[in-house]
Amino acid sequence: MSERVVTERSSVLVRLRTSWPSVAGVAVLLLVLLVFPVFAGVAYLKAGQYVLIGVVGAVGLTLLVGQAGQLSLAHPFFLLVGAVSYAVLAGDSGDSGDLVGLGLPPLLAVIGAVAICALVGLAFSPVSGRLRGIYLGVASLSLVFLGLYLGQSLDMLSGGTSTGRPPPTFDLFGFRFANSDPAPTILGVAIQKQQRLWYLFLVLAIVAYLLARGAVRSRVGRAWRAVRDNEAAATAMGVNVARAKAQAFTVSSAFAGLAGVMTALWLDLVKPDENEFIGTYSITVAISYLAMVLIGGLGSIPGAVAGAVLVNGLPQVLTLGATEFGWSIGTLSPVLISAFVYGAAIVLVVLFEPGGLAAIGRRLTTRQGDR
Amino acid sequence: MSAPGTVRSDVAPLAVESVTLRFGGVTALSDVSFTVEPGAVHALIGPNGAGKSSCFNVISGLYRPTSGRVRLGEQDLTGTPPHRLAGLGVGRSFQNIALSPHSTVRDNVLLGRHPLTRGGFLAGGLRIGRRTEARHRARVEEICAFLGVADRLDSLVAALPYGVAKRVDIARALAVEPTVLLLDEPAAGLNATETAEMGVTIRDLADALGISVLLVEHDMGLVMGIADRVSVLDFGRLIADGPPEQVQADPEVVRAYLGVSE
Repeated sequence: MSERVVTERSSVLVRLRTSWPSVAGVAVLLLVLLVFPVFAGVAYLKAGQYVLIGVVGAVGLTLLVGQAGQLSLAHPFFLLVGAVSYAVLAGDSGDSGDLVGLGLPPLLAVIGAVAICALVGLAFSPVSGRLRGIYLGVASLSLVFLGLYLGQSLDMLSGGTSTGRPPPTFDLFGFRFANSDPAPTILGVAIQKQQRLWYLFLVLAIVAYLLARGAVRSRVGRAWRAVRDNEAAATAMGVNVARAKAQAFTVSSAFAGLAGVMTALWLDLVKPDENEFIGTYSITVAISYLAMVLIGGLGSIPGAVAGAVLVNGLPQVLTLGATEFGWSIGTLSPVLISAFVYGAAIVLVVLFEPGGLAAIGRRLTTRQGDR
Repeated sequence: MSAPGTVRSDVAPLAVESVTLRFGGVTALSDVSFTVEPGAVHALIGPNGAGKSSCFNVISGLYRPTSGRVRLGEQDLTGTPPHRLAGLGVGRSFQNIALSPHSTVRDNVLLGRHPLTRGGFLAGGLRIGRRTEARHRARVEEICAFLGVADRLDSLVAALPYGVAKRVDIARALAVEPTVLLLDEPAAGLNATETAEMGVTIRDLADALGISVLLVEHDMGLVMGIADRVSVLDFGRLIADGPPEQVQADPEVVRAYLGVSE
C-alpha cells in the first residue's frame, strides 16, 4: 500500500519534471490574463472580451465539427437564442411594457439560456443525425434564416430590429457587473464594469475549455470520434450512434448559447439582425466560427482557442491600431483586412497543414497527444 | 504470451436458427442453422457470394432476417438494436480495419470499454470517474499485450503496418469482454508469416480465455488448421457443417469450391 503511494508520488514528480515548461507556460499565461485589466485600457479590454466570446463558441463548434464530424453553420442561430433567452429570462417588460421579461436572477437566467439552447439543439438532432457533410451544413444554415425571421417578427422577445432591448446587468450574489462608486481596486486600478466583465468572461472561457478538454479525453469523446470515423464500428463497440450525434449537437448548442449571452453583455444590447449577411447572428459569423475551428485544427480544443484569438482578435487589434496609432492601409477597413488574412490562413491550412495550428503546435513541442 | 484474466465459464452457445434473409427477390440466406459451441473456434466458409457476410451481418444485428432467429444462450439477439450486442458479450472485428486512423492505439482500444462504462459529457468534462478509468486503461494494456501490440499503444493507427492494425482491431473487439468474438476475415491482406501468427492468436483466444470465436475466412490453410468446426455456405444454403477433416472430404463442398462436370 505505502509502496504504491510512493510510486504514485514519484510518477507525479516525473510527470512534473517532464512537463514543467508547459506548466510554467500556463502559469505565466494565466498571470498575464489576470493582470490584463491593470495595464490595458477599456478599448483593449473590449477587444479581449470579444476574443473570449469567440473562445467559448469555437470550443463548442470544434466539438461538433471536429470531434463528432457534423458540419454546422447554425452557430449564430444559437448565439441569438442564447442572447434573447437571457434578456427574456432576466429582463423586465421594458419602458413601454411591450416586452416579455420574467425578471429571474441573472445567474439563473444564464443557466436557463444555456439550457434552452441545449434543448433547441436537441430538437434539431433528428435532422443533424440523418444528414452528413455539406448536406448537414446547408440544412443547419436554414436555422440562421429561421433566427433572422423569428428575431424580426417576435419583437416582444427580441426587442425588434430598430431598437432591440437592453440585456439585464449580470450580477452574482449581489455583486453587480456594472460601474459602481466606490469601486474596488487592484494595484490602484478601479475594477469597473469592463474589468469585471473581463474576469467574468475569462472564468467562463476557462470553464468551457476545461469541460471540453475533459470530455474529449473521456468516454464521450471516444464515442464521438468513433461515430465520426466509422459508424458501423462504433455501433459494434456499443455506441448508440443516433444518441452520440444528438449529444454532440446538444452540447455544441449549449456552448454557442453561452457565447450568445456573453455577446449580449458585451454589446450591452440584444438586437436581431436586419439581414442575413451582415450582423451579430449572420452567415458571416457562421463562417467566422468555422474559420476558427479550421485554422485551429478540427477537433482540437487548444486549436479552437488559437483560432478564436486570430479570427476574433485580429479585426479588433487592427481597429485599435487604426484608432490609437493611426494605422491605415488605403481604404481597407480592419474587418476587411482580417477577412483576407484569415481567408488566406484557411487556404494555407488546407493546403499545407490540415491539422491546423494545433498540429503545428504539437510539432513544435514534439509531444504526441490526443487531438 | 500471457492470458489476460482467467478462462471464462459463462460462455453460452451462439445458435443460428433457420435464418432466411431476402433482399427483394434475391435470397441471400436460405434456412441456415448452425451452433457455435462455447469455447470453440468455428469457421464460416464458402465461395464468393455464398452469403458469409450476410450471415455475419445478421448475427451482428446489422441485417434483420426475414425469418428465423439468432440466440446467445437464452438471449434472443434478433430484435436487439445492434449497439446493444457488445454489452451482451458479442465482440466483432472488421474485414477492412475500421479503426480511427488519427487516434492512438490506446484510444481506439479504449472505445471497446464503452458498454462497460458510464458517463456522458458532464461526467467526462468534470473528470468524474478517473479511478475507474485507470482500471479500464490497465485492462486495455493487458489486452494489447495479449495481442502483441503493447509497444504500439501510443502510436497513431495511421502509422501502423497493416498486420499490426489488424491485431489492434481484434484487441478493440476483445476490450468489450466478449463471450463470442466475431472475426471478419482476420487474415485478409496478411502475408504467410502474419497469417500463421494470427492463427496461433485466434487459437489462444479460445483456449486461454474460453470464449467462442466465429470467423469468416478465405484462407483454407488457416481455417483447417485452427477451427474446431466448419460450416460451409453455398448460394445461401448450408451445405456442410462438421469438423474440418469431415468437411474437407465432403463431395458437396468439393463441388462448390472446384465445380464438377456432370
